Formats: sequence, structure tokens, C-alpha cells
Amino acid sequence: MSTETAVSTIKAPSRAIEFLKRPLVVALILIVVLLALGEALSPGFASPMQILRLLIVASVMGIVAAGQNLVILGGREGIDLSVGGIVSLAAIVAGNVMNGADGGILPALLACIAVGALFGLFNGLGITLLRIPPLVMTLGMLGVLQGLLVVIRNGLPSGRAAPALSSFVTQPFLLGLPGIIWLWIAIGLFMAFLLKRTVFGYRIYAIGSNEQAAYMAGVPVKTIRVGLFMLSGMFAALAGFCLLGYSGSSFSNVGEQYMLPSIIAVVLGGTPLAGGKGDYTGTMAGAVLLVVLQSILTTIHIDESGRQMVFGATLLVLMLFYGRGRAMRG
Amino acid sequence: MQQIASSSSAAREGGLKSVLQRFPFVPALIILVALVALNGFFEPRSLSFGSITGLVSTYLALMLLAVAQTYVVYAGDIDLSVGAIVSLVNVVIIVLMEKWGGGGLTVLAACLVGVLTGIACGVVNGIMIAGLRLQAIVATFATSIFFTGLALYVLPVAGTPAPEAYWLTYGGTYFGIPFVFYVVAAVALVLGILARMRLSTQLLAVGDDAMAAFQSGLPVTLIRIKGYVLCGLFSALAALCVTGDTASGDPLVGGKMTLYSVAAVVLGGSALSGGAGTVTGSVIGALIIGLINSLVFFVGTPSEWQNLVQGLAILIALMAGVLVSRGARA
Amino acid sequence: MSELLIRGARKAYGATLALRRGDLHLLPGEVHVLIGSNGSGKSTLCKIVAGSVKPDAGEVLLDGKPVTIAGPQAARALGIGIFYQELSLAARRTVAENIYLPALPVKSGVFVDRATLEEKARRVIADFADVAGEGFSADTPVETLRADQRQLVEIMKALATEAPVLIFDEPTSALDRAQVDRFFEILRRLKGEGRAIIFISHRMDEIFAIGDRVTVIRDGETVATSRIAETDQATIIHQMVGEREELATPSVAPAVHATSRATVLSVQDFSGPGFRNVGFEVAKGEILGFGGLHGQGQSSVMRAIFGALPHQAGSITLNGKAHAMRSPREAIAAGCAYVSGDRRRDGILQGRPLLENLTPIHFLRNRLMLARPSRLRERALKPLQALKTKFQALEQPINSLSGGNQQKIVIARWLIDRPDVLLLDDPTKGIDLAAKTDLFALIRELAAEGMGIVLYSSEDAELLNNADRILVFNSGSVTRELTGADRTRYNLYHAAYEAA
Repeated sequence: MSTETAVSTIKAPSRAIEFLKRPLVVALILIVVLLALGEALSPGFASPMQILRLLIVASVMGIVAAGQNLVILGGREGIDLSVGGIVSLAAIVAGNVMNGADGGILPALLACIAVGALFGLFNGLGITLLRIPPLVMTLGMLGVLQGLLVVIRNGLPSGRAAPALSSFVTQPFLLGLPGIIWLWIAIGLFMAFLLKRTVFGYRIYAIGSNEQAAYMAGVPVKTIRVGLFMLSGMFAALAGFCLLGYSGSSFSNVGEQYMLPSIIAVVLGGTPLAGGKGDYTGTMAGAVLLVVLQSILTTIHIDESGRQMVFGATLLVLMLFYGRGRAMRG
Repeated sequence: MQQIASSSSAAREGGLKSVLQRFPFVPALIILVALVALNGFFEPRSLSFGSITGLVSTYLALMLLAVAQTYVVYAGDIDLSVGAIVSLVNVVIIVLMEKWGGGGLTVLAACLVGVLTGIACGVVNGIMIAGLRLQAIVATFATSIFFTGLALYVLPVAGTPAPEAYWLTYGGTYFGIPFVFYVVAAVALVLGILARMRLSTQLLAVGDDAMAAFQSGLPVTLIRIKGYVLCGLFSALAALCVTGDTASGDPLVGGKMTLYSVAAVVLGGSALSGGAGTVTGSVIGALIIGLINSLVFFVGTPSEWQNLVQGLAILIALMAGVLVSRGARA
Repeated sequence: MSELLIRGARKAYGATLALRRGDLHLLPGEVHVLIGSNGSGKSTLCKIVAGSVKPDAGEVLLDGKPVTIAGPQAARALGIGIFYQELSLAARRTVAENIYLPALPVKSGVFVDRATLEEKARRVIADFADVAGEGFSADTPVETLRADQRQLVEIMKALATEAPVLIFDEPTSALDRAQVDRFFEILRRLKGEGRAIIFISHRMDEIFAIGDRVTVIRDGETVATSRIAETDQATIIHQMVGEREELATPSVAPAVHATSRATVLSVQDFSGPGFRNVGFEVAKGEILGFGGLHGQGQSSVMRAIFGALPHQAGSITLNGKAHAMRSPREAIAAGCAYVSGDRRRDGILQGRPLLENLTPIHFLRNRLMLARPSRLRERALKPLQALKTKFQALEQPINSLSGGNQQKIVIARWLIDRPDVLLLDDPTKGIDLAAKTDLFALIRELAAEGMGIVLYSSEDAELLNNADRILVFNSGSVTRELTGADRTRYNLYHAAYEAA
């Protein structure tokens, strides 16, 4: 591998093809295609109102996926299955703290974030100090959270969203867009800043790409990883908080439907489960793609079974675009 | 990071360590015995023959599903679609038995079709993950959606009962021994045979280091596909037991079992990273989950607290299991 | 009886060309030595023959007939067995299972025939029984074996294929003298049976002891093939190095040890995993060499000073202050830098841009929270220029560079903020001569500016040319110190091999 000769002898594939193969671009193209398809199948599917509704649903998913994205980027089989439980728990906590009063919104938000951070901390400590595999640790934590939900549900009324929160999530807030979409955009900017402009972000990629090398370069590997799981818990809690605003009152296990889809959104957005590369912009597109896909399947007139089959098969086909492992024989 | 130099010298001594290396399920067995004793202490009747029969017939399905999961975990893979396969096979045999009249032979024929269905699901998973190199976690989640869709297509709503011949046989007693124990004996025999086959060693070798196995000349892709096929087969057998236990068809019956099967495998001392584990351990792991659930009941936990206590107990057992089996391997 | 002919084999990994034009003609009944510096393409050529790497071009002829080797399985079927340099063992399986992993014996159609397996394995093991050392038997899990014992298992695995063509890619690197002798006896026997054997080693004495013919590969190209009896060490080295040989020898002799200058690093009574009672001092501006055979504790001492390995006893004093060095973070904060020769494991952040690879130390030493790419770029450029690093943009992923330039990036990350002590742990492993020259020129410059440098190199010439003083390691302890005119190849060899 001599310096002069080794590089640049293989001709690179053309720039256009390279560009089109980027996960973000693929996801965006597919979103447009699906919207067009939906409009053709059922006029009104791609109307501004409908798209807005889709974006509201996607933003909740996207907020959960933000935390999931961070945990996965950090590598070492990083994954957080407990987000489903945290979303549900946060929705209940928020509903009870605010209990329909606008004045309770801020305390409720703080309580949610604290709850999410706490469970994230437990996850992170188990994974770093006891070196429990993330899948096992967060799976066990999910069981605990589900049990906790049963206890809380028995002891507490279900709680209601404050009117201001509901309108923040569902009604136009600024420039015709609901507040939650602005919130999501803000989170997108925050994530971009975090990953590209902070030392913490650089270190996330470092431990995700080569943990041993990062350690040898003085990166506080364990602290970073605990931080990632705490952030994941906090994002999930924030999503639960928003979800309460969307549905008005918290009902049982609303969060479970976000557990695995949040992982899918990350993968469709171009972050491989092995970590160390990818970003949140892709994940945002992945979340929208997932929601548009689900929505188009509810629009066309096939029954539940057909919807699920098409959804599952489509996900498999999408994964063939990206997220394939390397061949054994290089 | 720091184990590089110390591992080889320390690993030699210690009879306990070599016992754990050969029988990684020993810690799980100790937990199991302790749980049996605790169950007996709090509820002496739980040790009666009838209670044990009840426990086995309730958790036989989970034991089989844990076994199914073990074969893919051997090779470092995972299958999050096992629950969906259980659902699919359950509705397939229920619908076929109803269609074909529910007589003795038709029941057998339906079961055979059910088993073939499970195997087919395993082939699909295997091709997706080993053949097309999709990431196991997300790909099997996608196939689980697809299989659930199929199950909903076969039987849109829960409720169709199993023919009498089926559940009477499953719950019956022959020559003084409950039918489920014959099943247990037959499964033990099959597992014994499988453990002595080349495939078990090959799966473990692939999980240990897939590249090394490939370079040694093992057909790695084919071996991993076979792992998924075994997983599909045992998931189908689990479905037969579920059907015997619930005596009806439900297109969503297996959904909750998937994560428990993963937990049981980890409890049994297998490493999710592959290369180390035993099916015996996974069976014990499934029993531990069952006994934790009954113990929580017997100690008089208020009903709303039961799930939380179960969740916490399983989390602690999972963490203990990971720590002890790593201690044995280090 | 097999005759193997490889013509024009070529393989590229992304932008890196690992093998440009590999030719080899292997005859039955010969031990054919393949030699070339690290990264010259030897292993790639072997893996192509063994089926585990798919060539981009070229042809393979077995007994005159063109064959396509579709994979390791196909290679085995064609009668090709291989010893992999990085070993192909399943750590948790037993010795016997590993030896026969590709072809486990079966009885009654389905069951693994344990009795036959153990017996067959025992027969293979018997050849090495008296040299394998304690704790080595058919039912031992491989993960509990020592490095040399694992290497023996891989040798046995290759032998058990009973293939007419056998490839051994650095099979002796961890073996002791007796084990090598036994292995060579077996090779001679196999040669007598008419097998064709490819043998790779970096030890010249081994090459002349066992080889019949030798093929030299340089920069991915086959340069020459000659009979061992008709060539000599100097010729082979000249063929390996090519015209650029003179680059390796610096034009100026190393500076004389600066005794008058202040001590920057002092290590006393230092003991830990793989080393004991090591003590030395490094003065400002000095390059202290660690010499001796590979793996005698040189690397462990450096890693322990850097906090990456725990030490059990002894003290580390840096700039007059004692440090416990419990982690690399602590060592870095104290002004210590460490460059590992294993850059894939310890150095590069695979797939990440150069900028991210360059900045972690800068962040830590300046306690930064925010990363400003424009400012970082500015800071990173100077050390990159000093090392003459070749790159297009700081945004390109590190994998797109050649090995030498990757290592330059890893070194440059330490030079944005100057450390007081630089620990170089075989830093030139697997990089080309031009990069080595740039590197050593810079190291000398850094020393002249007052940095204390500790250098371990597995190449003696590098030590002799660059170190002001050499500590020779043997079995974890310093056995000899070479200063001034004592720094000769003879003294170095003598100290390294005595009582080994």
C-alpha cells in the first residue's frame, strides 16, 4: 500500500449516482412518490391539511427517533427498547401534573424530562458500569416500565391535557404550522448542532466508529454513553408529553407503537445499527417516510391484513436499498 | 479495553470456571431451584403434581419459543418475528381444523401444515438476513409485521375455537401421565439429537467469529439460514402448545411472547453476541420467568403491583445472568 | 501432486490497491517462500488462492487447468489448505473441534462422531505434543490457550486438511524455537510427500532454513523468483526495498545523548502484566529506543505508562510530578502521547472524516465544548504539513487514505497541542518507506524542540538509526542498555537473543 500508487487508481462512480444513493435523498424521493401515489389513489391525500396532519404524527415519531438515533450512533450494539415505556409513562405523568390546567404545563414538562432522564440514567449505568448488552438492559427496563404503568394507572386518574398544549400540538401556531412541527424543526436544528458543532457530537461518532481508539484518544467513553441513554429517555419523555397534547388524555401503553418503528426510522434514515455514521436529518426523513407509508395504506381500500403485509414487505424492500451488511468474501 | 493481557493467564485456574464453561446454564439452574423453593415456602401446594403440570402446560410454549430463539442467537443473530410466527401458525391450524372437520387425522394434518408454515417463515427470515444481509433486528421486525398481516388474513378476529379432540388431548392424561410431559420428553429427545448434530457446533462457530468460520470453509450463509429454519420450526411447535393451552385462534396471540423469548435466552446464560449458550439454559430461563410470575402471586403482591415486581425481578435476573456468565467466560 | 500457477492477480479495496499484479509458480515438493514488506500484498495473494478474497483480475491454474476458486469451501475441494495469519479459530470451541471444524466426522448420518473426532485430533496433536506446552489437549477451549498454542492449533488445522497445496501465512510469529523446529520437520516431511507449500515469514534465518525457492513481492507486484541456494539475504532485501532503499538510512547520524538536559519522564520499579522492575529516564530532546524481540514487554510498558494497561507497582514521574496514570485521559492531561502500531484497533476512527480523526486530543487538552470546524481546520493543517501528509480535503473519510497517511493523521492528532512525552509503539508497522522517512525526520525535529520520545520498533534498523540510547527488553525486563558506539546491530541481536 504505497502512498503514491495506491490511491485514485479506481474510478469513482459518477457523482449523480452517488448523490441518488444517499439515504436522505432516497427517503425524500420515496416520500414524494408516495404522496403522488396517494393523491392518485385517493384525491385529497396530499392536500396541505392532510400533509400537516401526517407531519404532526411524524413529529412525535421523529422526536422518539432522535434519542434512538443518538443511542445507535454511539455504537456497541446501542439500542433503546425502553422508549416505548417511557413515552407512555411520560404521557401519564404529564396528564396528572397539568390535569387540564395551562399553568401546569411547565411543571409537567419538567417532570416528564426528569422521569425520562432518570430511566435513561438507569439504562446507561447498567450498560456501562455492569456492561449489560443494551438490548437486554433496555428490554428488562421496558418490563419494569410496563409494570410501573399498571401501578400508576390503578392509583391515579388518567389525567388530561391542558388546552394550550392540545392547541400547540394540533392547531396552527406560527405561519400556519402547529407548534409541534416548529418544535420538531427546532429539535432537528439542535441535533445538527449537537452532532456537527459540539465536542460531544464529535465524541459520539468517535465511540460509535471505534470505541477502543476513542478511549486511547482520551474520550470519556462511559460518560458519553450514559449521556446518550439519558438523552434518549428525555426525547422519549418529550414525545410522550406531546402525545398527550395530541390525544387529549393518556390511555394505556400509547408508547409501545413507537418502540420498534423508531428504530426503523433511524435505519431508513441511513444510520446503520452498527453506529458510527449517519445523522438526524436522514432520520427525520425516515420518520416522515414511515408515517406516509402507514397513512397511504390506511387510505387505500384494503383490509388490515393486507395493509400489514404490504407494510412489512415494503419495509424489507426499503432496507434492501441501504442497511445491508458487508459480504464475507471481499 | 484492559482485558488484553490478563485474560489468558487467569482463565486457566478454577474448577468452578470450567464447570461454568461446560455448563453455562448452571447459574440459571441455581436461580430456578431457589425459585422453586421460594414458591414451595410461600405456597406449599405449588409443589404438588397438579400445580407443576399446570405450570409446565402454561409455559411449555414459552420454553419452545426460547429454544427457537436460541438457535439463531447461537449464530449471533436474533429473531423478533417468533411471536408473529406463533400467531400465524396458531390461526392456520385453527382454521384448517375447522375447515377439515376436526377429526383425529385432520388435526394431525393441520398440525403438519402448521409446522411447515413455521419452517417457511424461518426460510424467509433466513434468506432476508443471511442471504440478503439485512440487519437482523429490523428485518425480523419487518417480517413480523408481514407474518401478522398473514395471520390477520387467515383469521381476522380472535375467537374460533379449537376442536375438542385437540385441546382434550393436550390437557389429557395417558397412563397416569399428563400429555404435556410426553411432549416435554419428545422435545428433550429432539433437543438431545440436535445438540449432537454438526449443525449446533457449526452455528456456535459462526456466532463465535463468522469471518473465521467462513475462512475455515464453512458455508456460513447456509448455516445461518438453517438456524432460522430451526427457529421457525420450534416457533411452530410453540404455537401448537399455545393452541392446546388457549383452545382457540387469535391472530395476535404470540405478539407479547417475542421479547420474553429473548429474555429467557439471556437468563439461560447464552450470549446475544453469539457463540456461547445452550438450549437447556433457555428452557430453564423460560421456567424462571414462569416461576417469577407465580412467586409474585404467591407472596401476596397486590394485583396492581404484580407486573412491576415481575418486571423488576426479571431485570435483576437478566443482569445477574449476564454478569455471572461473563465471569465464566472471561 | 499439484502445481499451482497464479498470473496477474489483482485486488483493490475501495481506493486502496492491495495487490497490483501477483504472479506465483508453485511446484509440487517444494517450500516456496513468499516475502515482501508489510502491506506488500502477500496475504492478499494467499487469500485469493484460499478463496476468501475475490480477485478483481488474474487467473489461477491448477495442474495446468484454469480454475475458479469461488470460496474457501471450493478451495478446500480443490485441495488447497491455508494457515491464516490472523487465525481462523472459534474461540469457545475446543482444539479438536477447531482442527476439524470444516469437516466434522459424522456417525449414523447425523451425529458428530466425538470419539473419531478426538482420536483424529489427538493424532494431529501428537506431532506437537512435547512442544505444545501445558494445558494443551484435544478438549481444551481455544480461548484458554496462549498465543503460541493458538498458532499451533491453526497450523494443525491447516495440516489436517491433508491438502496437496498448503499455504502458511506467517505461521511462526508467536512460536518458540522448539516449536518452529518441530514445524519445520513436518514441513520437510510433507515436502517429501510431494506437497506444494507456500511459506511466509519475516525471519530471514527461517527463510534460508526451510525454503527452496523465494518469490519477492513489492508494492503489490511480484518482483522476482529465485532459488534460495542461488540468492542471499542482501539480494532479497534489495529486491524487497527497491530503489528507495537509501531513503531509509538518514543522512545525518543521530544526535549524541543529551546528558546535560533535564529529565522529562522518569519511570521507576515499574511492574505490571508482561513486565517487571522496569526503570528508565528520558531527557528532554532525547529519543530513547526500546529494543529486543517482539513482545518482550516493550509495548506493555508504554501502554501502562499511558494508562491503557494497569500497573501493579512502580512510579511514573512526568515533569517532576508523580502520576498514577489510571486512564489514557489522565496521561493525556499530564502531557503524554501514545501512538500505537495497530492503528486499526487503537488509532483510526474508521469511516470518519480526517478532521474528526485529528481533533480528540485538542478537545481534551483545551477542555473545549464547541467544535468550530474552520478553526479546527486551521489548527490541524500545520502538523499535517510537517508530516507531509497527502490528502485532498479534511472532510474525506480516513479509510480513503493509504496506510502510511492514515498513520500520519493519527500522529498529527497528538501534535496540534504539543505533548511533553511521545510514546511511539512500533509506529511504522505496515507503512511504506517514504512515510517512514517523513515520520522519523519529524520525530528528530520534535526531539530537537525539547520533546522526550520513547520509540519501540520491530525493525532493528529503525532503532539503530534513530534512537540515542537503546534499552533491550527480554521477557519483560530491561536486560541491557546500549549507548553511544555500543549501538550496533551485533550488540542489539546479542542482547535480544541471550537467554531467550
